[in-house]
Amino acid sequence: MLSKPDSALIIVGHGSTVNQDSSAPTLEHVETLSRRGGFAEVVSAFWKEEPSLRQVLHMIDSDEVYVVPNFISEGYFTRTVIPRELGITGPVSEVSGKKLKYCEPVGNHVRMTELLLRRAAEVAPGVPPSETSLLIVGHGTNLNDNSALAAKREVDRIRETGIYAEVFNAYMEEAPLIAEWDTYTSQPNVVVVPFFIADGLHSFQDIPVLLGIEQEPGLAASQRQVFRQNPHPLRGRSLFFASSIGTEPLFADLILDQVAAFDAIHTAQ
Amino acid sequence: MNARNLNQMVAVWVADGFRQIGQIRITQLDSGEFELRHVEDLGRMDLVNYEDPFDARHLSLTTVDGEFRPLKSAPNLRTGWRLLIRNIADLRAALDLFYPAMLGVWASHLRHELQPVSFRETLDRQTGMYAASKRLQEEEGQGLVANACSVENCTKRQLWKFAEDQTLRLMPADKCSAESKLLEGGIREIPLLCHEACNLLVAAARETVKKRERAASAGAAAAPTHGG
Ligand code: SF4
Repeated sequence: MLSKPDSALIIVGHGSTVNQDSSAPTLEHVETLSRRGGFAEVVSAFWKEEPSLRQVLHMIDSDEVYVVPNFISEGYFTRTVIPRELGITGPVSEVSGKKLKYCEPVGNHVRMTELLLRRAAEVAPGVPPSETSLLIVGHGTNLNDNSALAAKREVDRIRETGIYAEVFNAYMEEAPLIAEWDTYTSQPNVVVVPFFIADGLHSFQDIPVLLGIEQEPGLAASQRQVFRQNPHPLRGRSLFFASSIGTEPLFADLILDQVAAFDAIHTAQ
Repeated sequence: MNARNLNQMVAVWVADGFRQIGQIRITQLDSGEFELRHVEDLGRMDLVNYEDPFDARHLSLTTVDGEFRPLKSAPNLRTGWRLLIRNIADLRAALDLFYPAMLGVWASHLRHELQPVSFRETLDRQTGMYAASKRLQEEEGQGLVANACSVENCTKRQLWKFAEDQTLRLMPADKCSAESKLLEGGIREIPLLCHEACNLLVAAARETVKKRERAASAGAAAAPTHGG
């Protein structure tokens, strides 16, 4: 196990001022890794919640601080907002006498494919993948980030494994549209896995509506039953809907891996 | 920054009588353990007991009515619980969940390492959708701060100014002071300090600007001016 008894770890999430599900996975990973005890200090920091990126360094004693963005891809937040708010200028930055080590976002990890496959299998137990279409839902390309690219990369990798009869990307506002899932899938079973960091995004609440599971965007994901009612018999198929990939507990291990990967690349510094 | 040990600092504060933070009272038991409870629950016997510092996460997440609390310093912490804490490290962990970064910010303040950032500077730094907040005017901004940061909404004390050369004109002086108040029974509070405007306030500044600009363009469309 990664042991850094003299270092702190900051897991950075987006957070939300309206939906408690947004920060939940980040807080969960912080709790998991705090209990494991590999670091002197493990804390969260958020753009829209507390502690903010401007407060977080005050709560840390350690001089060496690893910063891991709990984001699905590189983009506006990892390249602009987090560096600006924390004072990060490169892979290693000196800020208020601390050495900040800026790691890759969790979503970039090569094991993401394995996690998506695992989640897909969990949500539809006993359903043969050879008779199943798998949809990986991403943000559209209009967002100022690379999450659509990352979602495409994952679909390519899953296709290469040959485990599922077919694998597609799906988006809210561009083709292939989530709402038209039954037109481009051919299998009797359809599994939908959102490639999001949390269930608390505003857009996430629209997915069940677009799929046809719900009539209108309802409560926060944590307060409703969508996930427990799988499968949904819809449009002549069995539809299985998973919660966002970022709620997967194994994300905590990927966060540690990003720290190890940083050290492997930057040990000379 | 010299080496700092926040656990030790917290231990000294509690021993010195700093036993209230936000809406929470800290009591040291005969066993040496600590007990946290809501200040409104001081005399209550019918509280639900918790023993894991991470329970603070769930206790601070929503109000009694189940409303999400994005701002942890809002004076709406739920009542009805009692959290038993074994040691100083766990006390710090729990308080960091109830009032994120507030122990550390207070420590930085005491060590003269806390540098308040003016509201104007925070707004000027914004990019993307929040860039519009840069156009906040002083007059509307002072009113916004007085309202959004009032004691009814937030128990933090603003240490920042409106701009380098502009104070927070409409804020009561004690809402802008870092001084620890002496409470009944000789107990001292660990004040919650705001050294830089939070994202909620920046978002509200953006809304204020957008609203004014929408109204102005609607007004301009309704009554076109003629150049002469
Ligand atoms: S800016 Fe500071 S004082 Fe005002 S609401 Fe936000 S945290 Fe509270």
